[in-house]
Amino acid sequence: MAAPVSTVGKPSTERSPFNTTSFQKKTRTKLISIPGTRPSVQNGQLLVSTGVTSLDYLLGGGLAVGTVLLIEEDRYDSYSRMILKYFLAEGVVCRHELFVAAAQDNPDDILQELPAPILDDVAIHKPVEQPRLSCEPQDSLDAMKIAWRYQNLPKVQSALASSSRFGHYYDVSKTMEPEIRQAAKCHCFYLPEHPTHTMLESYSALLKSLQEVINREGFDVAAPMTKSRNILRIGLHSLGSALWGDDLSCHDNPRNGHALTTFLYGLRALLRSSLSVAVVTVPSHLIQDRALMGSITRLCDNAIALESFKGSERETNPLYKDYHGLLHVRQVPHLNCLASKLPDHKDLAFKLKRKQFTIEPLHLFPFNMFVSVLNLSADDNEKSLTLVLPACFYYRVSKSKVKLY
Amino acid sequence: MLTELLQGTDAGGFLIIQDSASYSGRHLLKSFINAALNREEAVHVLGFEVSEEELKDGLKGSPVQRLHFHNAYTDPLGWTDQPSFTVHQFCLEELTRLVKQTSHPKPATLVIDSLSWILRHVSAPAVCKTLQQLRKGGAVRAIMGLLHVDMHQRGTVGSLCHLATSVITVAPGMKGDEAVAKITKRSKSGKVVQDEEIFSIKTDLTVVVQSKPSQLGHKQADPEEQETDPTANLTFNLRLSNTEREAKEKLALPFVFSKEKKTALLHSSPGSGRILYEPDANDDYDQEDPDDDLDV
Repeated sequence: MAAPVSTVGKPSTERSPFNTTSFQKKTRTKLISIPGTRPSVQNGQLLVSTGVTSLDYLLGGGLAVGTVLLIEEDRYDSYSRMILKYFLAEGVVCRHELFVAAAQDNPDDILQELPAPILDDVAIHKPVEQPRLSCEPQDSLDAMKIAWRYQNLPKVQSALASSSRFGHYYDVSKTMEPEIRQAAKCHCFYLPEHPTHTMLESYSALLKSLQEVINREGFDVAAPMTKSRNILRIGLHSLGSALWGDDLSCHDNPRNGHALTTFLYGLRALLRSSLSVAVVTVPSHLIQDRALMGSITRLCDNAIALESFKGSERETNPLYKDYHGLLHVRQVPHLNCLASKLPDHKDLAFKLKRKQFTIEPLHLFPFNMFVSVLNLSADDNEKSLTLVLPACFYYRVSKSKVKLY
Repeated sequence: MLTELLQGTDAGGFLIIQDSASYSGRHLLKSFINAALNREEAVHVLGFEVSEEELKDGLKGSPVQRLHFHNAYTDPLGWTDQPSFTVHQFCLEELTRLVKQTSHPKPATLVIDSLSWILRHVSAPAVCKTLQQLRKGGAVRAIMGLLHVDMHQRGTVGSLCHLATSVITVAPGMKGDEAVAKITKRSKSGKVVQDEEIFSIKTDLTVVVQSKPSQLGHKQADPEEQETDPTANLTFNLRLSNTEREAKEKLALPFVFSKEKKTALLHSSPGSGRILYEPDANDDYDQEDPDDDLDV
């Protein structure tokens, strides 16, 4: 019998009346179970959702606790700000604590613009289309007359989504109810309220404020587990812009390049030893020094870049007409491992719809065209094969036949 | 869109006119000043680059009394004993004091001529910070600034325009007194609108907007790009008459199965295929005698 040695010599009156044996189950190391998180299926890291399910899929299931996500802003800072708001809204819905820092707008204004969550019990996301059952009406079977064997194949999975429900959906056209928002605890850091002697101390003031919040609220991993643990979500808006006091975005050879890089180094050290996760947006289109931008990217764990079509010549390109911009994955994290999971598709485009921010792989034009040709009925097929051929196929019409090259 | 901007910016708006050596944006800036004066607003001008007489040239009438010119042209760096406005006074407290000196019920519009001059003597982050504080504070209703793009690095211009709500880039047009303006306007909700217009400024400082230039260039390319219909002008006939179409539909295609067979093939359940194996006499394979099946 595996009786603990200490209880062997004890008189029986000391034993609790409810314990019939002295056998005690040895509990394993305490698994932290915090609402809104789940362990990763790849490496067991604790993950939180970024608020955008497509982005969660890209990052390998979610954002690992203790890491930094860098978002390179698009030109007018519309979509990067949207992702930051999704991240904070997800924190409110999961009852995490928030820390928002900004130099340009008051963090309270950012918090008031959070999108409203769609609180349904049923998941909204569309799974891959199921095969049609035989009780379907006749039209569906006649929909493909020649290529009917392909009818039941699922359509190309356009939106990236993981199968399990982790993360919520938000309605961008409505703002979050004040009651829901006030239920979450928010710490704000608005730079003009923290005057510093020199301009370069703004980052160190931010880091000190973060450290103080983490220690005071007990997010440190080393802190005694007196109460239930929670996650701190940190959103830092537009670091590296001129309003934070450094000249990274103003000069081609900035003299204050070390300010932001030192801050990111300290931030990551702080995050690794606490239960927090950070999203940082940087206006990389203003930073001319590419080497500096590269070192900023290396100092963060995950990095994505948004390139919106607004205002560029790509807006009128028919290839991009369904999307609002391109998304580039600059870096994937290596957390306690040698190799990391790279995304399957490298060409990604995003689209902000009212109820969803979708990130899809960008399919080239002929692929889409063939899918649509196969779906047409028979006589349209034959006729449209001659008309729908795009300019990328060369064809020559001679007297007797049409040759395709 | 230029006329909308001329009619008034929203409170807290920051307009930047970007010009270059090939076309000066000062005429457009004077048109904006004129429009603001006609709207009965007080306008404070920080003049670094041109003198008061030159700026007020063309502006006439009683509204000119609401124009307060702060002379930073004669002594901007404070070399004499009594400078009227120096570039080092470009900070929040000084500017607020300056604007509040002239008592006027409505908050004033601040015009800076030009931002480039200030950027040469004050660091760009400090200028950005001051402008942002001015926008957020209540002393000034709107700010307009002239920026010479070819004098600064791209990052500096980008940082300043990042703060701006509207940016107008002027360039010389095709004809003599015409100019092209590229306008980008950001609304509070985050929506961005872009436009390109040809305009000219008359002597009384009103802006006349003409047709958009992009239409002239692109329309010539469009007729060439129209896809030619390959079924036209052929020596053989690709079209079907009605009887031909009916006959075609009646034709049984070689791999078209009946509906039942299609559904059977389509919806075969995963475990439905079975292999029934009945061992034949020939299938007896005797290990010791490989030539058992030879008929010798």
